[in-house]
Amino acid sequence: MAHVVQSLDQPSNYKDSQARVDRQKQNEMLAKSSTLYVGNLSFYTTEEQIYELFTKCGSPEDGGGVKRIIMGLDRNTRTPCGFCFVEYYTHAEALATMRYISGTKLDERIIRCDLDLGYKDGRQFGRGRSGGQVRDEHRQDYDPGRGGWGAQAQRAEIERRREVEERYADANGMAAGGGGDWKEINAPPAEQTLKRGRSPEDEGGDTRQGQRARMDDLDPDADRM
Amino acid sequence: MSYERPYNNRRRNRDDYERREAYETPEQKIRTAIIRLGEVDVIQEIPRVAKQIREQAVGSVPAISEGFRIGVTEQPYKIPYYANLLRLLHDHADGEQESSTSGSPSLGKQILEDFWKGFQAFLDKLSWRETRLCIHFFAHLTMAKVISVQSMLNLLQSFVAVLDEFGVSHGRAKRAGLCAAEGLMIAGKTLKEASVTDVIDIINAIQIYVESAASSKRLVQPVAQFHAELDSLENADELLESALAVLKALNSTDFAESVNSYPQPYVDLPDLPDGAAVFELPSVLVPPEIIELDGLSADTGEEAQVKKEEWPEYYIRLFDNEVTPDPVSAAGYAVRSALLDIVEIFEVNRKECARLLLEYPKWTLPGTFKPRPGAPVDLQPEPVPGKNWQLESTLMEIVLGALFVLPESTYKAIYYIGLITEICKLSPSTVGPAVGKSIRKLYASLADGLDVEVSRRFAEWFAIHMSNFGFQWVWKEWVPDLSLAQQHPKRGFARRAVEFEIRLAYHERIAKTLPEAFQAEGAHVLPEHAPGPDFEYDEPSNPHHNAAQSVLNLFKGRAKAEDVLAHLESLKTTIGETADGDVNVDAVIRSVAVQSLLNIGSRSFSHFLNAIERYLPVLRSLATGGLEAKTDILTAVSLFWNRNRQMIAIVFDKLMQYQIVDPTDVVGWTFTNGVGNERGDSEGPSAINAHDWDLLKGALDKANGRVLVARKKVTALRKEEDDTRARAKASGGDVTSMEVDTETKLDEPPESAALTTAVKAFTSLTSQQKTALARALDGFIACLAPLSSDRRANPHAHEVLTEKAWHNRANWSDEEWNAWETWGWYRHFCRAYSPYLRNYSTTLGTVSLKKFEGSTDPAALQIMKLWSVATGEEA
Repeated sequence: MAHVVQSLDQPSNYKDSQARVDRQKQNEMLAKSSTLYVGNLSFYTTEEQIYELFTKCGSPEDGGGVKRIIMGLDRNTRTPCGFCFVEYYTHAEALATMRYISGTKLDERIIRCDLDLGYKDGRQFGRGRSGGQVRDEHRQDYDPGRGGWGAQAQRAEIERRREVEERYADANGMAAGGGGDWKEINAPPAEQTLKRGRSPEDEGGDTRQGQRARMDDLDPDADRM
Repeated sequence: MSYERPYNNRRRNRDDYERREAYETPEQKIRTAIIRLGEVDVIQEIPRVAKQIREQAVGSVPAISEGFRIGVTEQPYKIPYYANLLRLLHDHADGEQESSTSGSPSLGKQILEDFWKGFQAFLDKLSWRETRLCIHFFAHLTMAKVISVQSMLNLLQSFVAVLDEFGVSHGRAKRAGLCAAEGLMIAGKTLKEASVTDVIDIINAIQIYVESAASSKRLVQPVAQFHAELDSLENADELLESALAVLKALNSTDFAESVNSYPQPYVDLPDLPDGAAVFELPSVLVPPEIIELDGLSADTGEEAQVKKEEWPEYYIRLFDNEVTPDPVSAAGYAVRSALLDIVEIFEVNRKECARLLLEYPKWTLPGTFKPRPGAPVDLQPEPVPGKNWQLESTLMEIVLGALFVLPESTYKAIYYIGLITEICKLSPSTVGPAVGKSIRKLYASLADGLDVEVSRRFAEWFAIHMSNFGFQWVWKEWVPDLSLAQQHPKRGFARRAVEFEIRLAYHERIAKTLPEAFQAEGAHVLPEHAPGPDFEYDEPSNPHHNAAQSVLNLFKGRAKAEDVLAHLESLKTTIGETADGDVNVDAVIRSVAVQSLLNIGSRSFSHFLNAIERYLPVLRSLATGGLEAKTDILTAVSLFWNRNRQMIAIVFDKLMQYQIVDPTDVVGWTFTNGVGNERGDSEGPSAINAHDWDLLKGALDKANGRVLVARKKVTALRKEEDDTRARAKASGGDVTSMEVDTETKLDEPPESAALTTAVKAFTSLTSQQKTALARALDGFIACLAPLSSDRRANPHAHEVLTEKAWHNRANWSDEEWNAWETWGWYRHFCRAYSPYLRNYSTTLGTVSLKKFEGSTDPAALQIMKLWSVATGEEA
């Protein structure tokens, strides 16, 4: 159903500029993706605020929900730099977010969502020269929610800033999985060892690809228009 | 800004796009022309498009009819004009006067024949909306004398026949009934001229169906009055009932009103030219619903498929008939159903949807809506008595009505919320006041029995809407209501709205928007502090302060899980030896360990996930110890996050996800321990409030979601194996096929290990699902019809059901309101989970409800009544 108008859940021309898979493969991945890149966040917006809004697109009754949120951090200072990844359990939830949430406000800023190929460790760091996002390198305007252009944060936000600055001081570039599919707990021992070895599934995948991920993934913003 | 930099790929994309435009085939062009009909002035464009179609008609009939099909089903507001266009295509083209004698059918007829195939396809798939909109088109064409009256009557009768099917589901009957009803509303005048009895038979059949479904209405009415079975509500209307009322009114004047309800641009056109026969719609049979038999059933042997949308459909009214269309008037019904269709169809693009809604008046008869402010006076049509409605208020009523449909809206709540935001953005000065009025109306109705789930969605909408518009609300006008009982629905709403606003923003931001009176401590609206953690062992005076510090240090130092476990074991001994009096050492250890773990993960959602993922073995070990252990863990969470209920829900969700606790544990905990933050203590009479409901819903949805995922997995694996087997058979069955056939049956490979595991998982998950639902049912029964000896019995659970008590609600105290709200959540539990409850109705009913047999206790009767409606034992 979209002969008359364009559906809002179509992939845009956002892409991970450093992903090393061809266009077709990328499109296939996006057609199944349950991960979103979320941009234009305030530096002060917390994961709980993000959770509160994005959970509105969750479908727990279909086995869905917010799996995890990965806050984009300044590479050097380890403070939020205005983007994040939200991962759901299902693709349908990611599409719902594109239709219903992208382009609405969170923390009084209009946020933008894009389907993403999927988070890999290392991608949570800004790719700009100064450590933050590339777009903030070139920004000419004054934006109090993204660090102003100096240290002139609004008074009311000073307290929030202090908390924010401390929050991710311990970030080590390894993200939690968020919990996988339900598994039989009282399974026979042989099987259990096998499962343990693989679980949580995401981590297994990440370690294997970790080497490449670091080379592949740089700023998700570098190629947006 | 970096946005404008011309990237390579962007240029490439644009090239692609332009090339596509350039290469548009004549077929695509003609299709587009049909779809875009009327973007400027529809009446002027019709002859032009008709000419364009004629010029390119040769070989393009399928493309043309596809254009009509898309136009009709995706832009229903244009249907009368499409009927007009198609009527014109039945005329001979200029200079072609003679060709009719040659016997080739007119272009219009060819298109209609092809269009019919599309309709048949929609019907075969039971795409109800598309089917219904095609019927609108046929009805207009009947009025335009293109389609034969008798064949139109037959078509409508095929849909009416569905209402008589044995055991027809409500969803199917409702949709088929609407197809027949709306077709009749449009074409009734002509149809009745042909056959009075046929028309009356259709109306009677709908009436009989509506009456037979009466008792299911009480479960989904948006205003709850437990003492009475109300047939009709003052401020809400059921869709099929409205349609029936409209038909009766239309029929009483022989459908004279139709002409004031639907545009009929074709009405002055002459009859079809000589020699052209009217189109006879082929006869149809509405196909039965497809029931996928996957051979999987719950352990009761009952089918575990989930079927939704099986309820009467109530739409709330916020404004008077002078302001917004009356749903039981012909003109009002036409406008409302057209707007509802737009809201549904354009769900894929809320921004375009908002634009189309605001432009809708241009497709209606003149005088339907008040002119926009500032429109030149001489262009304004005469206001039509009984119409002249306010567009913005109408849109608010329609969108909010769709948001508040029970048990659940068609799309997620956030769609309707986002749609309202877009409507506001397009025309803030005219829509803003309509939003304000809607909020005030809804707020006022909170005191008069607005359903608890509708109230919850209202608070959700309010908070998200405000977060998109600078949190500007005039709270001052609600200050006098702070004198109401604390559990009064109005005060509950204010509390929840502020809580949700804070979650989307932050404490200080919202505090700034509230007047003094709402900020005051006694108002219980704004919490004193920002919602942070509350680590009870932080205080050096706490007897377990030192123990907690030692555990905390291990966690902070990223000690290995087994070292933590060893330390906890040694703490157990220490505490057991040194504590005075009766101390449940296991409980203390669980609380200390869980709270310490939450403490190291308290900085953010991710920190929390990292913390528990690292120490899953510790949590698993703490959780062994049966129900008591799980209850202790959940209690520790609720204590640690007692100032942040969002986090309680998040942590519970992840504890279920990591299988530390089961959904049933959370359901049980909610009834026995409740969060009780609003009630202040967990000692008073048990009750379920909106926050408790969120926890229950989280747990039940988790249980149901797991079953669904497991079911899909089994189905996929089975299919995979069937395919493999079929392939093996096909390749192996060559020479001695006869003998091999019998042998392969014996040799058939056994189920793969993966499938066996999947089936086993499905079985244990359905059994968990049943346990969780049963626990919830028992919990509600304990709240609502407790034995008087029960320590936490609410003495008002029976009383609030009476009419006398309801009329005295102005004097209710917190306990009466708590009991009333709990009844509301029980009602919602029954209808929201009815598809699941039905699967287990026999076992659950026998176990939990048996004790009420023969009871005359009004509370027991009410519980049974709601249960039997929800499980379909009473239609």
